Amino acid sequence: MNCNEAAATIAAYADGEVDRLRSHTIRKHLRTCPSCAAKHQELLALHARIRAEIPYFKAPSALRERVLATFADATPARGDRVRSADRWRWMTGGALAGCAATIVAWVIGTAIVDWRTNEDLAVEAVTTHVRATLGNHRVEVASSDQHTVKPWLSARLDYSPPVRDLAREGFALVGGRIDYLDRRPVAALVYRYRDHMIDVFVRPPTTHAPPAALRTVRGFNVAHATGSGMDWLAVSDLNAAELSNFVARVAQ
Amino acid sequence: MPHLNAAYNLARWLARDANDADDVVQDACVRALKYVGSLHGNEARAWFLTIVRHAFYDWLGRNRPSEIVQDDGTALDTAIDHAAVDPEQSASRNDQTQALVDAVAALPLQYREVLVLRELEELSYKEIARVADIPIGTVMSRLARARALLQRSPLLHAVAGNMSGSER
Repeated sequence: MNCNEAAATIAAYADGEVDRLRSHTIRKHLRTCPSCAAKHQELLALHARIRAEIPYFKAPSALRERVLATFADATPARGDRVRSADRWRWMTGGALAGCAATIVAWVIGTAIVDWRTNEDLAVEAVTTHVRATLGNHRVEVASSDQHTVKPWLSARLDYSPPVRDLAREGFALVGGRIDYLDRRPVAALVYRYRDHMIDVFVRPPTTHAPPAALRTVRGFNVAHATGSGMDWLAVSDLNAAELSNFVARVAQ
Repeated sequence: MPHLNAAYNLARWLARDANDADDVVQDACVRALKYVGSLHGNEARAWFLTIVRHAFYDWLGRNRPSEIVQDDGTALDTAIDHAAVDPEQSASRNDQTQALVDAVAALPLQYREVLVLRELEELSYKEIARVADIPIGTVMSRLARARALLQRSPLLHAVAGNMSGSER
């Protein structure tokens, strides 16, 4: 092994990522080459300093409590609800972390079957809508032209969402963005109707049962429709009747 | 709640701010709850860290979009807020250590994340590749670059210079 070859593998060797045969070759080279050996020592020294001196930030207890509360909220009340003191004990036990991971996964896994219903989808859609509004991240492609918005979305997704211009009915296309819904990126079309902003999430039909046609979550209306081979979910503070009509129109 | 410390540590080093790290971890936990079906046994930590990283980048896009592209490591003034570090630790911590902490915090994001995943979370190259969604070759080159930047960091050399000067 020469110095060029060694240079490429010294770091991996110091990180313990090199197989035994190559480790042997590198060790041999390091014994005979002072400059490579010095590089190796420098790496080990940096390694040691970082591990000794760089703080590892532990989650503050306030955060831990809030996260546990999130989990508790998500786990619907069941007959044998774990008391919070008990939950604390096994959740914080470092030695039992691996075991706890399995239990947590199992508890949540069962809960999730119940919980990941349409309720969840509507709530998530509203959360996404609110987040986009607050974060001023409403559109990534701003255009009232359906022939601009559609290709922009198609280029970023594995499907091509139909985009309709309904300006004549008062629903002006503002643009679109990519957002996340139900574990995958979806096309979000943004329309304006008078002073109301409407997010329409368009995605290929899923294997889940179709969501309720209309729901209200925290004052926002969520209307669902299927059409054009897609699943449509509109979220807005627009009144329920008008939103239902709109989503039916846009999905046609 | 397993791996919460790992999640917080990564978020804290990426965001370089305690409150922002809180937000990122909260968001990640909500997501983790949803994605829990895709959990694979003992890969849980790397899997959770992947979610933390995604949550962080989404948060970054919403709150400091300029940092995604402009973080070239010159922004030393945004280095980690010292006050948030445990006061007991900082009392006993000498200038050299503080310089190293600052130098790590000042690393450009893409180098900082692989360094933290490797050195603090002790993930393998393969795991880092999965978490950061880059090829293993890129993991190696970014790690090498991160270390070279640290070794050459003016922050470290300024202190080392002062130290050797004062000792003599």
